[in-house]
Amino acid sequence: MVEAVQVQLKKGVLELCVLALLSRGDAYGYDIASRLANGIEMAEGTIYPLMRRMQADGLVDTYLMESSAGPSRKYYKLTPAGGMRFEAQKTEWAAFSAAVNAILGGAQ
Amino acid sequence: MNRQDFIARLRAGLRGLPPPVIGEAVADYETHFSEAHAAGRGEEEVAAALGDPDRLARELRAEAGLKRWDSERNPSAAASAVFAVLGLGAIDILILAPILIWIAGTLLGLFIAAVAAFGVGAVLMVAGPFVIHGAPVMALLLAGLGLVAGAASLGALATIGAIGCTHALVWYGRLHLRLLRPALEPQGIAA
Repeated sequence: MVEAVQVQLKKGVLELCVLALLSRGDAYGYDIASRLANGIEMAEGTIYPLMRRMQADGLVDTYLMESSAGPSRKYYKLTPAGGMRFEAQKTEWAAFSAAVNAILGGAQ
Repeated sequence: MNRQDFIARLRAGLRGLPPPVIGEAVADYETHFSEAHAAGRGEEEVAAALGDPDRLARELRAEAGLKRWDSERNPSAAASAVFAVLGLGAIDILILAPILIWIAGTLLGLFIAAVAAFGVGAVLMVAGPFVIHGAPVMALLLAGLGLVAGAASLGALATIGAIGCTHALVWYGRLHLRLLRPALEPQGIAA
């Protein structure tokens, strides 16, 4: 039960987490996947369909950059629309989590 | 499962999509393996951390289907979007199927009625004056013209309805895709 709740919670906030990560600087796929997997336990491969979706929605743009080790990397950067989406979702999340916390606190 | 197995299963799951779409998706995961290798992680471990390739393929397939419907509005794109969303299991088919069948049946009925009325109207207009004696020619022409125009607008309405329904389904599928069913959970945990 706890596990199921966790899975549902993580799914909902994954896009918000990616937006937050990219708002602090451009990043490439492997970087995003491993940093998110460090914080929230998830299947790393999920990042790639999510990035395609966000690109199709115009939230992120990509560009290629040579890397010192291995193949050139595809970097993702926030578009202005992505930045706006981030601000809106962050506000929503703050209000939502504050409300949930208030209810949880009141239940004790 | 090693790198080769993972990529092979992903490719198998993506079969039938446009080659560039498959190429880009496979490249994403190939790069992931290379980066992980450079970071000193083993193939087996990386493949396990990536998640189920079949499920990832279904995600990518659904995304490609929805994207195609966004760029080309035709019956084939609509069908591929609908099937991609259904294939994702994003929609509770048991609940939705009767509604979908009812809507599709109604739209089909409207189309058939429109075609029939168009035919009758055309015949009335062209052949009516010769076949039906005694009736005023002008009235026959006007009646035929009215039927044809009515049929055309009925057909247009049904088309708008069909496009609207596909839109609604795609919207619903996206909502599920985004909020409820990314292939986030490790294998074996039911959503």
